[in-house]
Amino acid sequence: MKKLSRKNILIAAGALFFLVLPVAATLLEETYFISLFSRILIYAIAAVSLDLLLGFAGMISLGHAAYVGIGAYVVGIFFFHSSEAEPLFTFPFLLQGSESGLLVLPLAVLISALFALVIGALCLRTKGMHFIMITLAFAQMIYYFFISLGKYGGDDGISLYSRSSLPLLDLNSDLTFYYFCLFFLFLFVFFAKRLVDSRFGLIIRGGSNNERRLSALGINPYKYKLACFVIAGGAAGLAGGLLANQTEYISPGLMHWTLSGELMVMVLLGGLGTLFGPVLGAAVFLLLEEILAMYTEHWMVYMGPFLVLVVIFAKKGLFGIIVGEKNDNG
Amino acid sequence: MAENILEVIKLNKAYGALQATKNLSFSVARGHIHAIIGPNGAGKTTLVNQLTGDILSDSGKILFQAQDISRLKDYRRARLGIARSFQITHIFENLTVAENMALSICAHSSHNFRFWRKGLQSGVVREKLADCLSRVDLEKRGHIVASALSHGEKRQLEVGMALTGQPDLLILDEPMAGMGPGGTVELSKLIQKLKGSTTILLVEHDMDVVFSLADMITVLVYGENILTAPPAEIRQNKDVQAAYLGEQD
Repeated sequence: MKKLSRKNILIAAGALFFLVLPVAATLLEETYFISLFSRILIYAIAAVSLDLLLGFAGMISLGHAAYVGIGAYVVGIFFFHSSEAEPLFTFPFLLQGSESGLLVLPLAVLISALFALVIGALCLRTKGMHFIMITLAFAQMIYYFFISLGKYGGDDGISLYSRSSLPLLDLNSDLTFYYFCLFFLFLFVFFAKRLVDSRFGLIIRGGSNNERRLSALGINPYKYKLACFVIAGGAAGLAGGLLANQTEYISPGLMHWTLSGELMVMVLLGGLGTLFGPVLGAAVFLLLEEILAMYTEHWMVYMGPFLVLVVIFAKKGLFGIIVGEKNDNG
Repeated sequence: MAENILEVIKLNKAYGALQATKNLSFSVARGHIHAIIGPNGAGKTTLVNQLTGDILSDSGKILFQAQDISRLKDYRRARLGIARSFQITHIFENLTVAENMALSICAHSSHNFRFWRKGLQSGVVREKLADCLSRVDLEKRGHIVASALSHGEKRQLEVGMALTGQPDLLILDEPMAGMGPGGTVELSKLIQKLKGSTTILLVEHDMDVVFSLADMITVLVYGENILTAPPAEIRQNKDVQAAYLGEQD
């Protein structure tokens, strides 16, 4: 049974806000907000996926941007080959480029998840500080790999001339694209909510607190942590694929550790270990950036202290402040 | 002679110059409550950790149900039917009491890659949760986050979690540590009740508890087994009195 708690009211209000925002923006003729909020929705997906690692599984990954970047590059590379009418590779089978969203978006998820599987399998052999550093190292390796990839623009990246094509939907319309992103955010948050309450979620959350007890119960924590790492990586890939569509431009910057750091800030700001917090965090972070940047290019000078205050005074971030600290996971 | 569920053969573990377990051999008969006693620093917890796989032994063998488990990882041994409680409470402090117990129940299913259904509502959990909680008197505390429990309640949960899987061998490492007299009595009763259905290896400081419950006692001094015998014999043995019992008064 759903209770009419502050938490549920806030979540419903948030969902409603996202649903009616484009209508309001259109009426006010401020359509710029639609693309700004599309961006927020996409970052929110990435931030929620990172929070699965940070807040629920206790894995401090400082390389989450790598999976966002890989997802974006999947979309970008397929687009590039499609517009050049040149196959990606001919051996062992012929693979043509594509602009079809039905192909490239699932591929963005799959390939990011695959990278997360390989990288996670290695990183999870370490713990604590070593884990943080090795996730960072892998992400930076991928970043430099793409910088040196001259074919796909190297440092400069690739511009896409249009968004992925879908049957019935025209993603080139900002309004359609907004709702497309919103759909995925709702879907993912719903999935994540089920996930953290499931048996898998119990193990993940328990393991973040006491891995030794988990082993004593007969559970090998490694497998479950890796699965969680892969799920988070796949979701970040989805965010990346959407982001490539949103900006119609990809560059290695998407894999840089500063993006990993920004995602982490969104999680901390919104509420570590909550599912709706990171959505709030992404919105507040990007809006503040937008607003502060109007006044000064050194907007981080103001963002920094704000983040420090939130982190010091609210264990569960802004979400925790609004709904009350007691709500453990939202 | 009763069948032995656990056989420890010439087990050794050294930390630098300190020989924590020294050429240690003993066996535990199926269905017994077998107590391990010994003064502080005798290597009791080290032994427990060697048995459960938290620590790998330097040499020697551990046979569980006639299978050599000395090199198996901790979670594999748990899978074979060895459950333990920790001397220092190891519970999932961030989960509720019910979730702690549910997780222990789920641990004994073949796998837990179940992402959709609520953990607390899965079949095995619904079937067993109430019993598991009431067995350690926590049925009214299910919704509380474990970190908010009192020390005694945390100990109850600790033992309760070890019991969920109906283990073949239950290793209790000082289960009474830090419990009030009431808790000690309750827990003794619980252990008494388990007798027969499971074999228990009990490491305990409280001599009254040990002598009232144990079928067999192994006395450990500086990592060595100085005597394994029934309680009556232990009480009368001069070496044991000198090494250990004398220190009690």
